[in-house]
Amino acid sequence: MKKKSILKKGYGWINERFKIDDLINFMKKKEVPLYHGTIWYYFGGISLLLFIIQVVTGMLLLLYYKGSAELAFESVQFISAKVKFGWLIRSIHSWSANLMVLAAFIHMFSVFFTKAYKKPRELTWYSGFILLALAMAFGFTGYLLPWNELSLFATKVGTDIPKAIPLIGGFIMNILRGGEEVTGSTLSRFFGFHVALLPGIFTLVLTMHLIFIQRQGMSAPENWDELPEKNKKKIPFFPNFLLRDLLIWLIIINVLSVLAVFFPWELGVKADELAPAPAGIKPEWYFLFMFQTLKIIPSQILVMDGEVFGVLLFSIAGLLWFLVPLWDRKTKTGEKRYWLTYAGIFAIIYIIIFTIIGFIAK
Amino acid sequence: MIIRKKNNRIFILLILLVINPAIIFSQEIESKDACFNCHGILEGRLKTPSDMYKSDIHFRKGIACSACHGGDSKEEDQDKSMSKTAGFIGIPRGLQVSKICAKCHSKEFETLSKSVHGQSSTGSGLIINNCITCHGVHNIIPVKSPGSKVNGANIVSTCAGCHSNASLMKNYNPGLKVDQLDKYKTSVHGQKVFSGDSKAANCASCHGNHDVKKVNDLNSKVYISNIPTTCNKCHGDANYMKEYKIPTDQYEKFKKSVHGVALLEKGDVNAPSCNKCHGDHGASPPEVESISKVCGTCHVLNSQLFQESPHKPAFDKEKIHECSACHNNHDISTPTDEMLGSGEKSVCIKCHKQNDKGFETAVKMKFMIDSLQKDVELANYFINAAEQKGMDVSDAKFESNDIKKVLITSRTSSHYADLEKYINTINEGFKITSKAKLEGEEAVKEYYFRRLGLGISTIFITIICVTLYLKLRKIEKKQKT
Repeated sequence: MKKKSILKKGYGWINERFKIDDLINFMKKKEVPLYHGTIWYYFGGISLLLFIIQVVTGMLLLLYYKGSAELAFESVQFISAKVKFGWLIRSIHSWSANLMVLAAFIHMFSVFFTKAYKKPRELTWYSGFILLALAMAFGFTGYLLPWNELSLFATKVGTDIPKAIPLIGGFIMNILRGGEEVTGSTLSRFFGFHVALLPGIFTLVLTMHLIFIQRQGMSAPENWDELPEKNKKKIPFFPNFLLRDLLIWLIIINVLSVLAVFFPWELGVKADELAPAPAGIKPEWYFLFMFQTLKIIPSQILVMDGEVFGVLLFSIAGLLWFLVPLWDRKTKTGEKRYWLTYAGIFAIIYIIIFTIIGFIAK
Repeated sequence: MIIRKKNNRIFILLILLVINPAIIFSQEIESKDACFNCHGILEGRLKTPSDMYKSDIHFRKGIACSACHGGDSKEEDQDKSMSKTAGFIGIPRGLQVSKICAKCHSKEFETLSKSVHGQSSTGSGLIINNCITCHGVHNIIPVKSPGSKVNGANIVSTCAGCHSNASLMKNYNPGLKVDQLDKYKTSVHGQKVFSGDSKAANCASCHGNHDVKKVNDLNSKVYISNIPTTCNKCHGDANYMKEYKIPTDQYEKFKKSVHGVALLEKGDVNAPSCNKCHGDHGASPPEVESISKVCGTCHVLNSQLFQESPHKPAFDKEKIHECSACHNNHDISTPTDEMLGSGEKSVCIKCHKQNDKGFETAVKMKFMIDSLQKDVELANYFINAAEQKGMDVSDAKFESNDIKKVLITSRTSSHYADLEKYINTINEGFKITSKAKLEGEEAVKEYYFRRLGLGISTIFITIICVTLYLKLRKIEKKQKT
């Protein structure tokens, strides 16, 4: 009884100053459509949770990680072997990074297929797309940080791709690598990108993304307005949707711990810049479909270099995807553009198939 | 003039018949070979070849001077017999010499060409050794004749003519030793050869004759892994060795020994061959008191500890064959811990009897090494168990490398035959093993701790999930009503 009154007093003290009740009332009024596609709403939250886990575990790793070619591998080895629960933190950091990209991909496709990017949510789509690109950049820069053999050569391959861009390709590659080759300078640079530059930009864009969602609320399905009022099922954001979100977050945390304990992230062999590239160099799985495509494109397509063609193809596809709110409008007769849905399905199938081929290929 | 020549010929023939009955058979040739006849009646250096040739096997086989020098040996007129039109070449020079011999001895020349001596010499267009370098010229006699330059003791001097000449040899191989002859004189082989025993090994017995190869040539008869077979040709032949009254089973024993298996089966050229213990040019069995020194050239620490042990004076006094007393000689097998203690395979009990101090020491040493071995196995068990469970045991594994080292050191320290020193050494092993074992054990515990932690957290989170779910249902039910 006494305990409860202390809690109440504490809440009252904060509420008096920050008007928490107003915020709760706002959330209570806010409603989330309840229909067969509600499940997809949770993937944004899952991505957010995994990002938070990334930040927390990343900060813990920073206590011991050393971002130089001489010490990086040994410091990660030390974290995994000697630091109490270091193995768990590192494993969770790696697993949550991958799951975050997966969740963000699912979130993006669900938004795409539910047409949630349409007016007035164009900016939410743009910011979401940027967040996914930043998440992939996080993955790309973070992959090199343990400074092992696989990460070194995968980074070599990855940073070699921009070189194919005419005129500015070499310049971009030099900016990424901090020189002509992937060396200790690249590691320092990637470390800087991973722990300072990218988190800064990411936090900014994420804040905007969340503000947009809070201001506009959850998007309803396309035919929502046409439904009779009695068929429009809704649940309050607080506490219903938030508690469901929390439930899923807890399940994700459970999945993460199982993965981290049963499949701890391997460290591999220390990178040797002078050693020949080992067999089976592959980037992280979310780059595999692009990597595999570039591998099968012929070296020359008409007058164009094959690699340039590939990079150009993905750049155009990415740009079109990014700008989808601009050009996906109903036809003059008001019909929906079904082919866009088919294009989305094709994109998913393409990504899945080429990722599998990339995994299998030697 | 012709009459005078004829008288001289008859005189020479008579003398030769008296001093060498073999020349009876060359009577006919003498009469036909104008070169031999004319040079025989000349003076000084022009006469020498003819004089020498009388004892030459080629002369006895009826081979005329022209066979090597060209010209017409039937023509008595010098201008015609030694004319270029008759094919006269004079004294053959350089490679020409061997090529002339090769007209008949083609096989030998072919073999020589492939040998180390057949390689080009420092002089342009020449080979290091041509036929006459070893066989001589004009006085070549059968190899088996005691006077042959390539027979028995003579071949040693013939080879030494070049191989003991430091100035000459450095032109070809500055690193090659030139003391072979001096060493050979100290060897059992050398002593026997110089005392007239033609059966004992000379240079050619081991190195071959026309087919001499460099020692590091895989085809050389004295390449390290070929040496046992080369030695065994004589030493493994019971009939050949009968008169020397020494065993002939050395090779059979050696090939099964730890050294033989390493050298002959595993191809480890660092393993010793016969010459490593017996010497090569100075080959002889090691003296009783020098065995540990000989073995110590490789087994340095073991030898050193033995020298400091109470065994050394005792062995010397009793004329016991040092290392080979426990390890044998040609049939040395991989040492085991069973050699210590008082068991059936113990070598200690060969000398030590129950209740004497040495016996007690041996028993205690055996007990300690067995205990260490068990500790090592236990440590490895935990390390492997942890590793199989996916735990990081790199430190423990690194330390387990020291375990191997400590086992070797402990086994080596048994050569001290001193319990106190042995305990000091083996205790280091116990310390390292305990540490590695502890780390392995800790890793296994950590593995179960992680599983337990995961289980507890999963249960905890699941309870919260269920509670949340129930709460949500309650809220939604309340909202509906």
